[in-house]
Amino acid sequence: MTIDLTQVGDAAPRGPIAAASALTDSDGPTRPHRSRRRTVAVISALVLTATCLLMIFPFLWAALSAAKPTDVAFANPPVFSFAPTLQPYVDLWQTTNFYLYLANTLTVAVISTLVALVIGLPCAYALSRYGGVASIVLLVLALVFRALPRFAVVLPMYEISKSIGIYDTTYALAAALIAINQPFTIWLLRNFFAEIPRELDEAAMVDGCTRFGVLRKIMIPLMGPGILTAGIFVFLFAFQEYLTAAVLTDVSAKTVPVFIATQIGQNLPLLQQASAATVLLTLPVIGIAFVAQKYLVAGLNSGAVKG
Amino acid sequence: MKRREFWLLVTPSVIVMFGFMLVPLYRTLRWSFQKVDYGSPGAEVGLTNYIGALTDPRLGRAVLFTVGLTVVVTAFCLVFGYILATLINQLGRMRPIVLGILLISYVLPHVVGAVAFSWLFDSNFGGIVNFLANQLTGGAFGEPLWFTDPWPNRVIVAANVVWFMLPFAMLMILAGLQGVSAETLEAAEIDGASSLQRHLHVIIPSIRGVLGFVLLIFTMDVIRIFDSLIPLSPQAVGLGNESIMLYIYNVAFREGAVNLGLGSAISVLTIVLILILLYPSIRGIVKEARA
Repeated sequence: MTIDLTQVGDAAPRGPIAAASALTDSDGPTRPHRSRRRTVAVISALVLTATCLLMIFPFLWAALSAAKPTDVAFANPPVFSFAPTLQPYVDLWQTTNFYLYLANTLTVAVISTLVALVIGLPCAYALSRYGGVASIVLLVLALVFRALPRFAVVLPMYEISKSIGIYDTTYALAAALIAINQPFTIWLLRNFFAEIPRELDEAAMVDGCTRFGVLRKIMIPLMGPGILTAGIFVFLFAFQEYLTAAVLTDVSAKTVPVFIATQIGQNLPLLQQASAATVLLTLPVIGIAFVAQKYLVAGLNSGAVKG
Repeated sequence: MKRREFWLLVTPSVIVMFGFMLVPLYRTLRWSFQKVDYGSPGAEVGLTNYIGALTDPRLGRAVLFTVGLTVVVTAFCLVFGYILATLINQLGRMRPIVLGILLISYVLPHVVGAVAFSWLFDSNFGGIVNFLANQLTGGAFGEPLWFTDPWPNRVIVAANVVWFMLPFAMLMILAGLQGVSAETLEAAEIDGASSLQRHLHVIIPSIRGVLGFVLLIFTMDVIRIFDSLIPLSPQAVGLGNESIMLYIYNVAFREGAVNLGLGSAISVLTIVLILILLYPSIRGIVKEARA
């Protein structure tokens, strides 16, 4: 009886294996190949899912902490069942100057994006069309400026802005960021201009267009994607900037990254407001990541192609 | 394009760049030879600041920490960025969603990302990482002192830098993969090259340029690491986890520390280091422009 049972127990798992080997025989080499391919697909799906989860986890955790009642928000061990609340957002809005910092961040980002494009476009166009030594020198200088340690320019800016009375103003911060990001702007735009054939310029100039006419009437309309890409990047850089904003602002021109950084080391309600602020800041950024993905990728790629 | 037209077009940008970059840079260079406080003219002290910087063991530690971090983060991001890019390259409809999710940490202000990161590890604020790790290992993970023990602190700093830099490496490499010749790959497959051989002998050599560019950007950006350390390493000085930028900030700007001359000297030394690192790229640009 016992022997019979073991045999039955053994036979059951053997069944599918035998069936599979029979299939392999008739089906030739495709079967193991296919199953190997499936294993690879499963592993790659797992790796990608795990990576995506890890990448958004800090943000999810901040969002969760902001939704908890204050007394358990940062409890250890973490609390997972709680009555969700919006109180930190209300407090953030009512008891801090968050809206002012948000307005400052947006003002700085918008001004610096607009000005960077207006002065960067003609420069980038000239750099893509003029083959003289001056062009090479400017491009190399721009690369060096792009790599400079921030403090080498930001600390003198701090002193200069204090001595001429523009310290802690949004326009001083915007001006600093325009200059700091101008090297990247002109490199990126130049790479986009370089892809427009020069014959187009020449044909228009034969037809009586001036150089500035070519830039305004022909190049700029063609540069739509390039301008959008550069605009998104300059906006993001200004929006992200911490170091420059921390040095050049104090109270009235403070930006959101500086505000969030100063909240650490504070007491619990303030920390929870910082996590609410993080969520409020991240949501539009997630929007940018999804909607403007094409341009972000294009901008990064254009850098990769031309260095 | 005529010379006159060139100068007319570049002037506004050049004025802004030179006015706001070269003038401050000149000031930094002057300060590096002075003993100076904010708002008062400095006194010339010759090379004292440079000697002070080069003989300060703190600078040596900062350079070691920064360079070590750069090497580890860059190596990890190149390898894992390559794997991720290869996997994403095979995706169909899911691709925009995966790319969108991966881009979030890149577009978020780094200091904000680092603050959110610090909450994951700080046991005063839930310490979810310790909690989950101990659930998984049955308590064997223990309670590493993420903020006060040098190595655990280095681990979270490196993890944070990888977190926001990896998407960039992945995107660059993904772009490079689009340019790999499908014919060569097919030929290699017909010749019986294994998957690993195809990566090593076909794909990686043909995206060498992109990998070099990623290396360049990573070197420039990780050497300037600053934002992450503010929330993640409040005791950076004591732990030896001070980056070069943080060192300048601590001696030249943080409250009570106004050794602007010393800070400026370190800035100048960093610029020299960066110029040496950039030299191959600069030569590349000049060569390409001449051709």
